[in-house]
Amino acid sequence: MRLRVLLIVLLTLLLAAPAMAVDRLVLATTTSTANTGLLDVLLPAFTKQSGITVHYIPVGTGKALAIAKRCDADVVIVHAPALEERFVADGYGVDRKPLMHNYFVLVGPPGNPAKVQKSGTVQEALKRIAQAKVPFLSRGDNSGTQVKELSLWKAAGIKPDWPGYREAGRGMGPTLTMADELGAYTLSDIATYRKYLSTGRISLVILADNQDLLKNPYSVILVNPAKCPKVKYDQAKKFEKFLLSAQGQKIIADYEADGKKLFWPVHPSK
Amino acid sequence: MDFFLGGLTRGLGLLVNLDPEVYGIAWLSLRVSLSAVILAALAAVPLGLVIGQKEFVGKRFLVVLFNTLLALPTVVVGLVVYGLLSYHGPLGGLGLLYTPGAMVVAQAVLAFPLITALVIAAVITLDNRVGPTALTLGATPLQAAWAVLKEARFAVLAALAAGFGRVITEVGAAIMVGGNIRHYTRTFTTAIALETSKGEFAQGMALGFFLLVVALAVNLASHQLQARWK
Amino acid sequence: MSQALFSLRGVVKRFEQREALNLERLDLEAGVITVVEGPNGAGKTTLLSLLALISPPDRGRLFFDGHELPRSGSQLTAWRRQITLVAQQAYLFETSVDKNVAYGLRLRGMDRATREERVAQALEQVGLAGFGPRRARRLSGGEMQRVALARALVLRPRALLLDEPFANLDPASAQVFERVLGELPGQGCAVVLVSHALEQAHRLAQRVVYLREGRLVPEDGHRPGA
Repeated sequence: MRLRVLLIVLLTLLLAAPAMAVDRLVLATTTSTANTGLLDVLLPAFTKQSGITVHYIPVGTGKALAIAKRCDADVVIVHAPALEERFVADGYGVDRKPLMHNYFVLVGPPGNPAKVQKSGTVQEALKRIAQAKVPFLSRGDNSGTQVKELSLWKAAGIKPDWPGYREAGRGMGPTLTMADELGAYTLSDIATYRKYLSTGRISLVILADNQDLLKNPYSVILVNPAKCPKVKYDQAKKFEKFLLSAQGQKIIADYEADGKKLFWPVHPSK
Repeated sequence: MDFFLGGLTRGLGLLVNLDPEVYGIAWLSLRVSLSAVILAALAAVPLGLVIGQKEFVGKRFLVVLFNTLLALPTVVVGLVVYGLLSYHGPLGGLGLLYTPGAMVVAQAVLAFPLITALVIAAVITLDNRVGPTALTLGATPLQAAWAVLKEARFAVLAALAAGFGRVITEVGAAIMVGGNIRHYTRTFTTAIALETSKGEFAQGMALGFFLLVVALAVNLASHQLQARWK
Repeated sequence: MSQALFSLRGVVKRFEQREALNLERLDLEAGVITVVEGPNGAGKTTLLSLLALISPPDRGRLFFDGHELPRSGSQLTAWRRQITLVAQQAYLFETSVDKNVAYGLRLRGMDRATREERVAQALEQVGLAGFGPRRARRLSGGEMQRVALARALVLRPRALLLDEPFANLDPASAQVFERVLGELPGQGCAVVLVSHALEQAHRLAQRVVYLREGRLVPEDGHRPGA
């Protein structure tokens, strides 16, 4: 008897689960925006103002765009300009707008075996790494960070093909841990690097920072309703407007983690 | 050492501090995984019973097939279910992607071959006189099948517990079809994956500890059920 | 002659290619203890499964109480509920003695009070009064066999089939079987037992049927074709 009651309760739960589908906007975004906690401040403010719930799916830039291509998201916030342009050119995305930026950092072992000079440019740094043939760990996951890294090698005129150049195939955090253990250099977003450094998990140091070449621009792109008829374009448009409004931009400008500013909005003075 | 100790003390902290977010995660994990096991069992138990009891051509092949399906990586199951539930997929119209319902479906798909294989094993090793004995005492074929299931109840419950263990600990499928949405589809495992990727190892360990406590509670409850069900 | 409870006409049962049973004509009356004898592999157990309606014949017709029985389907369960079988080293369910004995009554939807009364009565009959709460599968072999007998008696069947009831029985249990089976014909029950224990079987037998290689050996007066 008791068993039957239990079964009925559980079956009710089972039936209730799919019914929990809610009216919401799906935002596919990068782990770096999600992990900093920025979205947990930004999204509630938007919901409060508009009554629209936003659910974010934290994945890499490549995957976020892939999800959007399949019409499984309404809007994306990503950071890989080359991929974004293709996404829009192929007709999947519309209304692409720059949202904010921060900087990538080149980090390496404290011993600095390649003798990278902190005052130099990132190109000089990469040249020294390539000449010294020291270990370098790439993300290898088609993330915005890897796309950036590859563009930096190209800009420096180097083909990274020495044996010490390896692909981790993992997210930023695990890649940093691996780089630390391998004594390797790597490119990282600033937020994840700071987090890992503060927990004492890694001892990698910053060797290049705050240069134009290391700029990491984030864009917001809406999914094209012509390609995906069921997409919530109007609500997504409201969301984009909010992000670029004075209120949205101020939240981004004011956001700090561990007392440090993480993002620079595109319209800081607004 | 502080790595483990820190996680453990924080896990205890999470348990006693009644952090609503963590309890939300626990409740969702429990609900999704139990629902998935029930859904899978509704198909797997009768199927396992039939395969285990009946003699037919291709039986050995089916047994091998189900044992092979156990090796299916959770990420592949996640990918397949994602393909089905995606907007462009055959079941896209249901709008289940990135909802708890999608996680229930994916976890049920994961648990199904495991429960089926274990039920087949339970029934095959059972005394083959159970069904005929029930029949001679006046059972309908369905009642006889139920009698077989009842005789194999300990092994069948163990199969369900194994199914639960498989789904509540998996992360690949849940993250792919659930999307790890905060307050909505974030389960123990997806939260642990996220915390770890953020470098919050202590929080990850703590959640892992909490997960163990929840799994312990579920297994104790099922053990209690076994003890009563004589 | 009174109408037979079981009538078999041209019944054939095969296992793969081998003919396990081929009975031109066999009638079994109510209120009679029939002992089926024959060497190993003569088809005795096959005959019992057939009479218990758990293994349909490949050919031929089977009548129970004057009605021709279907090979399968839902009506078969209703007929089967008038017959029961005590197998050799019967399987007892992994539960208490009480629940084992009550199993058939539950299937028939009998209310709890009647069930408990009948179970107690049946256990008393086989000399196991008070054994109800014990775990059935932890009893001795003879006690287990007596539980199986009680589980059959409690149903008050019109036909009781027993496969080697005296095999591996302790003397006390064998005595119980002999006493209980001896009372059944008076209640109009048809008893069919397959037995090697010739002494006990012959003491009980009101009729003996011989089987050899699946066929009746005409020794008991029901000569086929006569």
